[in-house]
Amino acid sequence: MEKVAIIGIGITPFKARYLDKTYFELAYDATKLALEDANKQGAEITHKDLESTVYGIYNELFERQFMPDIFINSYIGMNNKPGTRIATGGATGGYTVRMAYAEVASGLSDLCLCLGVEKCNDCYDVQTGTTTPEVLNAIAYSADMTYEYPMGMMAASSYVSMVNAHFEEFGSPTEEQMALVSVKNHGNAISNPKAQSPMKITVEDVMNSRIICYPFKMLDCCLYSEASAALILANEEKVKELKVENPIWISGVGAANTDCFIGNREDMGRLYSNIYAAKVAYKMAGLDYDKIKEQIDVAELHDAFSGQEVISYEELGFVPFGEGGKWIEEGGPMIDGELPCCPCGGLIGCGHAVGATGIMSTGEAALQLRGDAGKHQVIIEKGRGLAHSIGGPGAAYAAIIIMENEEAR
Amino acid sequence: MEFQAHQIKDILKIDYRYTMGGQSKFFIELMNNKKLLGTKCTKCGKIWMPPRINCSECYEPAEWVEMKQTGTIDVSTIVWYTTSAFIKAIPYGIGFIRLDGADTAMLQGIFSESLIPSKVKKGKKVRAVFQKEREGKMTDFFFVPEDEYESWIIKSEYEGGSE
Ligand SMILES: [Zn+2]
Repeated sequence: MEKVAIIGIGITPFKARYLDKTYFELAYDATKLALEDANKQGAEITHKDLESTVYGIYNELFERQFMPDIFINSYIGMNNKPGTRIATGGATGGYTVRMAYAEVASGLSDLCLCLGVEKCNDCYDVQTGTTTPEVLNAIAYSADMTYEYPMGMMAASSYVSMVNAHFEEFGSPTEEQMALVSVKNHGNAISNPKAQSPMKITVEDVMNSRIICYPFKMLDCCLYSEASAALILANEEKVKELKVENPIWISGVGAANTDCFIGNREDMGRLYSNIYAAKVAYKMAGLDYDKIKEQIDVAELHDAFSGQEVISYEELGFVPFGEGGKWIEEGGPMIDGELPCCPCGGLIGCGHAVGATGIMSTGEAALQLRGDAGKHQVIIEKGRGLAHSIGGPGAAYAAIIIMENEEAR
Repeated sequence: MEFQAHQIKDILKIDYRYTMGGQSKFFIELMNNKKLLGTKCTKCGKIWMPPRINCSECYEPAEWVEMKQTGTIDVSTIVWYTTSAFIKAIPYGIGFIRLDGADTAMLQGIFSESLIPSKVKKGKKVRAVFQKEREGKMTDFFFVPEDEYESWIIKSEYEGGSE
């Protein structure tokens, strides 16, 4: 397999709504930003040099367009080249990076565009005169339509089931421990100019926010967002040929789909997809599941819900099972902690632009490793970072990307 | 010139007659006889509920078995904010119920006279209550705490199961 590097990163601001941009215009913006970034790193390329695209597109109902990828393909000037669409729920971004990696690692393309786009908030609920219930409805069709959708299952009630089962087993995460994630991620977002929800808040603010589904409160949940994110991936020869400075190498990719029926799982308080995806990615990168916290500098986690971030600390091997809540109380995942988690603000701070989110997280971790993260830059000593994506019914899909800056090591 | 936004109102709608295939018997027995049928793998003996006519682990057929209509809550939540399709129903309880004898748990509505977390907690015994008007769908039944069963089945729109 070819070595694969991230040589260009483009992320648009995450916003509640773009009235001045279509879905396709947003796709164009991230692509242009990624090309400009690659050129800043020394490459001299245009979209004409890109040989293929892998598209991260979550759901047709959001976009009011089936096969949105072929229309993006036209708008970004990629006609007559291969383009492949990936759709794996909230994990779409991470899986898209994995498949773009495969496109280059396999030798099929020397230069590949990895592009995720989201414009979810055109959905509109007429009865309440608000956006979110209809956005949630469009997502809820991702639940099993025969047995689970008719019960009123949605993203939050699906994730909260696993969090509640985890709490029953370990007594953690408590509501206060979950609230700490919200405080951390809203707070980190203050230093990220692209974030949708920068806020200085307290545990009390989170505890007092309106109940969504027990025990998740409003501030425990990410907001749905519109944005796009793009990465340009290149093989080693191309990196040399283009004289790219600061390539960020993808050293591990792992993904797993666990049983989408939570009721079929041995333990309901697990997001098994996390565990399997992490172990595969770490092994590929030559890292260790039980020492990973000491081997990486930064983790951009998929914090769709605060309690799920806490469980992810355990499932990704940062701390033993049941100790995620204690770890955040001790400050472990804080921006100046043992292993900063979501320094950009994560989904709770930035917003969740579903098709783009995992690509944004990967791009953010790569920017950190390059030393280009701006005001939320963390200290890079080991030269390695992680991006995490999870999604789908019962968080059935997960993908983990490990990146390295060889110069920094 | 200053930017002016323009939006178009639209709705996507598709009508279906959705095939239940090999699972049809579950919905027919639910509708006609208020029975809850699971399936048992002919090889490993695993009892699937919701049912599937093939064992996904053994790749062998699974046979229909009638399940008890009592079970235990494995995990639950109470929903206070939700999708446009369900927002009129809030607050509502849902949870994964393991019917007695089943190896898997099914998602179902949990109704209670006092819908508070402690009433619908893990380990609580529940029992199925059926709609009088049934259509062969999952919404034909729901679960209530076992100690509330008698008070639910006397309501005009509901009735007890076949047990
Ligand atoms: Zn079997």
